[in-house]
Amino acid sequence: MTFAIKVENLCKQYGVHNAVNGISFTVEQGTLFAFLGANGAGKSTTIEILCTLLKKSSGNVTINGFKLDVSNDNADIRKSIGVVFQQSLLDTRLTVRENILHRGRTYGLSKTQLAENYQFVSSYLHLDDIEKQKYGTLSGGQKRRADIARALIHRPTILFLDEPTTGLDPQTRQFVWQAIRQLQLETNMTVFLTTHYMEEATVAHQVLVLKEGKIVAQGTPDALKTKYAYDSMAVVFNNPLDGAKWLEEHAITYTEKQEIYTIRLESTLQALSLLKKAEPLIASFEVIKGTMDDVFLHIMAEEGVA
Amino acid sequence: MSLVQRNSKVFRRDKTQVFFSLLSVIIVIVLYAVFLQKMQVDAIERITVATPELITMVNEWLVAGLLSMIAVTTTLGAYGIAIKDQETKAQADFLTAPLSRATIQMSYVLNALIIGSIFSFIALIGCEIFIVATGGKLLSLGHFVQVLGILFLSVLLASVFNLFLSLFVSTQNAFSTLGTIVGTVLGFLCGVYVPLGALPGFAQNLIMYFPISHTTVLLRNTFMESSITNVFKDVPASYVEDYKINFGIVYELQGNILSTSTSIIVIVGTILVLAIVSILLFKRKYK
Repeated sequence: MTFAIKVENLCKQYGVHNAVNGISFTVEQGTLFAFLGANGAGKSTTIEILCTLLKKSSGNVTINGFKLDVSNDNADIRKSIGVVFQQSLLDTRLTVRENILHRGRTYGLSKTQLAENYQFVSSYLHLDDIEKQKYGTLSGGQKRRADIARALIHRPTILFLDEPTTGLDPQTRQFVWQAIRQLQLETNMTVFLTTHYMEEATVAHQVLVLKEGKIVAQGTPDALKTKYAYDSMAVVFNNPLDGAKWLEEHAITYTEKQEIYTIRLESTLQALSLLKKAEPLIASFEVIKGTMDDVFLHIMAEEGVA
Repeated sequence: MSLVQRNSKVFRRDKTQVFFSLLSVIIVIVLYAVFLQKMQVDAIERITVATPELITMVNEWLVAGLLSMIAVTTTLGAYGIAIKDQETKAQADFLTAPLSRATIQMSYVLNALIIGSIFSFIALIGCEIFIVATGGKLLSLGHFVQVLGILFLSVLLASVFNLFLSLFVSTQNAFSTLGTIVGTVLGFLCGVYVPLGALPGFAQNLIMYFPISHTTVLLRNTFMESSITNVFKDVPASYVEDYKINFGIVYELQGNILSTSTSIIVIVGTILVLAIVSILLFKRKYK
């Protein structure tokens, strides 16, 4: 197993405040890693340290085999990572192409290499229709495409995405994710993601949840869902009173809102047996899968935050 | 170099920024057209006969002042990109590339030098056209080369001076205030808004100790050398010297007329001192 990122006992202190408090984790090469946490949990601080923008107080960080060194510019690490920031940081008065090529030249790429790389990212992110437009005139979704292209222009092996789809419409979010996933699969790129959209974390290989600078949960989305979320079934009975009576007779716990009875399921299959038994009483039903939202809310509540 | 190209392109495409960089120069031109030229011509008419060459000489006085101001205002405007990058966090984007903070900062300094040089050269050509159009003569090749050399020194000094100032600023609002202050004060400190002789003693000393004003003095000397000889050919030398002192064509400090080489030493010395101080400030800021 090759690790793209290895973090050991990482700490960042601001005076007496521990923004990041001794966290350790690894990110396997070629995987999608979701880094979650409420605002102020220490996500941005950690990402800034991993991206060489902020000096760590203590601990070890290894990225692509290069040890993060607070005493220098970590050029080897920087050449191998790409970063998409929360905000749009490209120059509003330059065209998309100018922006990307100017940034690309800072990596010391030859003209030919830069042109090849541009073609490569352009094909994934469909830049043809916007490359001659000034960045400042683009829509939010178009800007994001340009931002991602900028982060990829030097063909990094790790891509950091700091809330990349915040504020985008569902269609654009889907496009952005398709492009990232395709790139990741075809180039074995490692993607390190922070997001507030929990469904985006569902497709991650590993999820880590941070709270107050400490890791509070870690695992695959399925493992976390098994541990922290549950499936449920919403039922509408032909006669609500009969339905409620039946549930009580069978010692099934439920909640009721506007005559919709929600039953917590041990597993999705439990829905089948319940439906068979109560079929004559049921007018309609819906089985609801546990989501990463549930996982996140559960973890936060468990830790006394929600 | 790629960052320098980017900085230059960003500055040139921001027409408002370019306009505000030249605003104080535009104000000087208006003041000159309204009363500065007349005031000076009236003063000289008291000691000699007014001739077309007199107008040329006064025009040359103006363009020398303008050129020294342009070097400062355009280089300061160019540093606006550095402040904007800092405030919008665009610098963080550059820092994820294999670039050091010092390299990024140097790109702003080089950009200021290039922008200042280009604008100063364009302004010089414009000034020459203005002088010829108003009946004067083009600078001789020797004087033209000399002016180019002084302009280069002016731009270098202005770039370092503005670098020093910009290191104290981290928001665009503060930078805009700095621009207004520099633009307003500069005309006085270079003796362009009001001739040196019209100011009280302490203000005269302040101007003479202000290093950038020495570039104005050098430019005036070079631009006006021929026309002063022609205009004041029948006037006693003491009157000519009085004129030169009153209009800031030479500096008289504690009874001594400062030589050209003294002004050059002041300029070069200031460039070195400000460069060293700026490096120290930069290192402290990003320790």
